[in-house]
Amino acid sequence: MGNEVTVRSDVASKLRGETRYVADIHLPGELYGGVVRSPHAHARIVKVDVEKARAIPGVQAVLTADDVPGGAYGPTQFKDWNILAKDRVLFVGDEVVAVAATSEAALRAALAAVEVTYELLPAVLQPEEALAPGAPVVHDEQPDNRPMHVQLERGDVDAAFAKAHIIRGGRYTTNRIYQGHLEPIGVLANWSEEEGLTIWAPSHIPYRARETYAAAFGLPEDKVRIVVPPIGGSFGAKYVLKAHVIAAALAMAAKQPVRMVFDRYEDMLTAHPRVPLTIDIRIAADAEGRFLGKDVVVWGDAGARVYWSPNVMATACTRPDSLYHFGAVRAEGHLCYTNHSPTTCMRGFGNAEMLFAVESVIDEIADGLGIDPVEIRLRNIVRRGEVTIHGYQLDSCELEACLRQAAELSGWARRQALPPNRGLGVALGNHVSGYRGIDSRFEGSTAVARLRDDGRVEIETGEIDLGQGMSATYAAIAARVLEISVDSVIVKSGDTARYPFGIGTLASRSTVMGGNAVKLAAEQLRQQLTVFAQGEYGADVELIGGVVQSGGAAHSLAEVAARYRSRYAGDTLEVRASYRPETDFPGKDFYGNPSPAYPFAAHVAEVEVDPETGRVRVVGYWAVHDAGVVLNRTAAIGQVVGGVAQGIGWATMEDLVVAEGQVKNLSLLDYRMPGASDIPPVSVSFVEVPDPHGPFGAKSVGEVAIDPAPAAVANAIANAIGARGRHLPLSPERVWRLLHAEEEQR
Amino acid sequence: MREVAGSERRSPAGDGQGPKANATGPWAEHLGPGATVIRFEINGAPQSVCAPPTRRLVDILREDLDLTGTKVGCDIGRCGACTVLMDGQPVNACLVMAYQAAGASVLTIEGLASAREGTEAVAGSLWLHPIQRAFLDAGGFQCGYCTPGMILASKALLDEHPQPTEEQVREALAGNLCRCTGYAGVWRAIELAAAWMGRSAP
Ligand code: FES
Ligand code: FES
Repeated sequence: MGNEVTVRSDVASKLRGETRYVADIHLPGELYGGVVRSPHAHARIVKVDVEKARAIPGVQAVLTADDVPGGAYGPTQFKDWNILAKDRVLFVGDEVVAVAATSEAALRAALAAVEVTYELLPAVLQPEEALAPGAPVVHDEQPDNRPMHVQLERGDVDAAFAKAHIIRGGRYTTNRIYQGHLEPIGVLANWSEEEGLTIWAPSHIPYRARETYAAAFGLPEDKVRIVVPPIGGSFGAKYVLKAHVIAAALAMAAKQPVRMVFDRYEDMLTAHPRVPLTIDIRIAADAEGRFLGKDVVVWGDAGARVYWSPNVMATACTRPDSLYHFGAVRAEGHLCYTNHSPTTCMRGFGNAEMLFAVESVIDEIADGLGIDPVEIRLRNIVRRGEVTIHGYQLDSCELEACLRQAAELSGWARRQALPPNRGLGVALGNHVSGYRGIDSRFEGSTAVARLRDDGRVEIETGEIDLGQGMSATYAAIAARVLEISVDSVIVKSGDTARYPFGIGTLASRSTVMGGNAVKLAAEQLRQQLTVFAQGEYGADVELIGGVVQSGGAAHSLAEVAARYRSRYAGDTLEVRASYRPETDFPGKDFYGNPSPAYPFAAHVAEVEVDPETGRVRVVGYWAVHDAGVVLNRTAAIGQVVGGVAQGIGWATMEDLVVAEGQVKNLSLLDYRMPGASDIPPVSVSFVEVPDPHGPFGAKSVGEVAIDPAPAAVANAIANAIGARGRHLPLSPERVWRLLHAEEEQR
Repeated sequence: MREVAGSERRSPAGDGQGPKANATGPWAEHLGPGATVIRFEINGAPQSVCAPPTRRLVDILREDLDLTGTKVGCDIGRCGACTVLMDGQPVNACLVMAYQAAGASVLTIEGLASAREGTEAVAGSLWLHPIQRAFLDAGGFQCGYCTPGMILASKALLDEHPQPTEEQVREALAGNLCRCTGYAGVWRAIELAAAWMGRSAP
């Protein structure tokens, strides 16, 4: 059966159960680490008594704020993290005391024996309340509770609205989504005077983690090493985490390795979910459905500390403006501190949230004008060759083809004649392939290519494979450049002490940034290899099929490798190349071209609503993507379907319910994620036109896969029931209320 | 078998040769109350461990026997990451107590490739069962965390229904969550495996 295939052994190990995720790794003498957390949303710490805990046999370390460095640090330019809370706790789950013990029983006993006395303080739990005068202040350094305030206007928005034929809009809210990584958060940390800290941390931005943790402990960066075990799902959850810092602090204090692996309860209790947004939006259009202006005000709940919420806010305020011609745009974004667990990014990164609102309003305008939703989009979308209102340079864009194809494949014409309670909805999406704003200092990626003794080629990268197929894509790129088989390429990453620096796997960076670096390194390796072989075998050498041909003789790459080493004191032939895109840092005005390549997508969802219960079933789904040239089809399809499934869950069922600062649905039974029966067959197609900046014409696909999904489902529901749901998730209860006109005015 | 100093949860596991310790020996205080010797078959070989009767099967597998291919995702029987086959039936190993597994024959992901039916080599010395191979070809996994459980749930399905209907697949996967794939690759993998295995061993 099948063809002869060779599988990279790490992929085969996943199938054989041999992959060692962090919870499967043990170090000799390891201790169990745990944390005493605040049960209150906001309180003053009056007294911390750890004497009883320290006396428990087997307890090796008990740390309070007094035992660890107290300086503020953080993974972004907002430095508002601590290691342990000192005077105040800021959210339920905030870390107060850390314990390491030789057994789980001793750990649990010690955690229970810690006595913390609190004095309750008024909490602020709503972003809009956080901005009100007299609101409780979360961080004294930020008395207005607003670490970020976006204000942006391009064109004359008031004039645009004044001449509008139609204006639609309203208040939309997006929900707190738990990333739902199947592998709970875990970490293993070790300390030695010579080596410093070694942290086995499933993080897909390990170099930022290293920088952040070094700052937390006042260590030089070469004294912090992050080793990245295989990651069991993240979707934004596993970036830079306090759990890593606390495990490290315990390992330093106990002088023994410390493991800390959350169970699902602790993982959900301390979750850093998607940033919930409240969006007031208006869009103006003329009588033909051409947009004239867009005006949004966004409130984002950052929680009590800044993780990646500023990037989410910036994306929400700007990204959809490079999908449609809105004429004039205005955005005001208030990112607010609250006494919630800090929120952060999840796949889609603010764009999917804003697109839910934008695409809903576009459908309302289409309705109001009696124009078909596909047609109104065709009149307003961006196209190849354009520079968008914020300066995005679209050197490739097949959005129109995606939209037309999605309409055709889904049988969009049926929409007029659907049976009752059935609906079709369309939505579009765009994203980046790496975003210049992620790090103000640099952008790009570095790869090392090395000829091994066995004649195979080793690629080292600083980017991280999350199972999205990055390593296979890199192997394919290098193989293509060197004209060798994919199986002769080995891709390595995930250790800050061994591999080149990488900004990490976020902002859909890996294909274009890392891929271009791999391509450059492979090209340079090929060139140097050729020059060396010419010196050895003669000027006529040619690299064909993994063999060096010269004057009728064939020399294996293993032979070339051995010759090279014999000439260079045992050194191996290797090159190091950096790809630096020509992009612009989006400054305060958010203007410029922040990414080398922009992927696009058009999605159509078909739903059936049960009028008795309000339950929505997604019965059909069509996703057409412009990802440039697709380098790894199975992986790309997997990315799209996975993103769509998360979007369906987001729009119809998922919600991390928080009341008085406390997460209420703390299990996978109470937080429902889609199972196999919730996801219909998803038709995935690609419009493949090469992007001039992507490696072999490729663009990203990971995040744009989810961007249109919640909106497509919401639009399909509105089509099915004739009423518009503006608050996610569109749970059975909400849909039932819409059907019975109790919740929202239609 | 690796032992970690002082861990009360690690028992001196058997190695197929019978128990190395019992509950009244020096290990008793580490094993918790009422630890007894529990015998069963794991991946075709007899095995015995010394554990309290209420110790979870998943902990016995992962911690006592170092069979870490069985994953823990939820601890409450929802996610299916801990799925193993007990006497051919899929069970959530996080809900099975040691005493319930006594005498049973347990198949974990580590045992699948060596389970008799039609294994094949794919990469040098690495062997895959046709279902594992189908997951590979069909893109049935990404991060891989749900994968051992998914594969064993699929095996139970195909053992019972070699040519399953859509409804039977739906039912078989009802207890297994995957956050990465959106399940499409899993469906395709099951179809592929059914086709291959229907044509007798490859
Ligand atoms: S860990 Fe057993 S079902 Fe989730
Ligand atoms: S492959 Fe990641 S959860 Fe299924």
